[in-house]
Amino acid sequence: MDEEEWMLQELQRMFDKRQDYGEAVFIKAAQDIIEEQGKRIYQMEGEIDGTLWSPKRWGE
Amino acid sequence: MKTLLIVSHPDILESSSQQFFLRSVKENHDMTIHHLEGAYPDYRIDIEKEQALLKQHDRILFQFPFYWYSSPPLIKHWQDVVLEDGFAYGERGKMLSGKEFGLILMIGISAREYQAGGTELFSINELTKPFQAMAHKTGMIYLKPFTIYQFAYMEEEQKMEVLIKYWQMLTMENDPSLASREKWLIAQLEKMLQNASDPHDANIYEYAISLIKENRNTIDGLKVVLDQMQQH
Repeated sequence: MDEEEWMLQELQRMFDKRQDYGEAVFIKAAQDIIEEQGKRIYQMEGEIDGTLWSPKRWGE
Repeated sequence: MKTLLIVSHPDILESSSQQFFLRSVKENHDMTIHHLEGAYPDYRIDIEKEQALLKQHDRILFQFPFYWYSSPPLIKHWQDVVLEDGFAYGERGKMLSGKEFGLILMIGISAREYQAGGTELFSINELTKPFQAMAHKTGMIYLKPFTIYQFAYMEEEQKMEVLIKYWQMLTMENDPSLASREKWLIAQLEKMLQNASDPHDANIYEYAISLIKENRNTIDGLKVVLDQMQQH
């Protein structure tokens, strides 16, 4: 399990037992932003790979 | 940043959406909640007091249910008497210049109807032109409106998502980028960390904060690489 997955699970455990609604909302916001960051990193890495393998560079 | 939330609703206790949002906000040094109908049930507005409140805050928000494409009557009356020549505009005074102004609208009809071809025909941006003109005339920076459509039909998860955006409208700097939302959330999580009584919970908050920061470093690093690649 990677760090992100573990973190999301731990936050979910806290979310499930949380009694204060406001705290639960922030825990959910933390999960959402970690997922959004993960997606952004994945997309940027994809963009780097795509640029490296671009046919424009085949002639170089 | 100090926020003044001016709420207008003739029957606020009966409104589940208003109650949901207002109960979630605590007044503090940086946050004032001002319910007009509660303060002035007889419509006799204390103009000096209102102008002093405006001066003390940096972000002015109007929150109201969208009635017949406009606001409830008291907030209109408030504008008529409080935003007077010499205070809000004109040669002798532009006391609101440089402050931020935004609308928080509770709307009973679906978002998709507010466009050409929809039952309401016009967009919220078109229907709220008088407020945009007011912000313009008084030199205030108009924020993107925060619109809540059909709150009663929202699922629990949607309500939570909308509540975060509401809190951001009240307290986050006017920049919706991922970096700015991270910064805002970290500040909130740090407060929760300070108040956490369970050491396990405190650990998780700490891990979450450091992971968000670590991810930000990764994103910034990748951005540098991409920028360099695009230059070549």
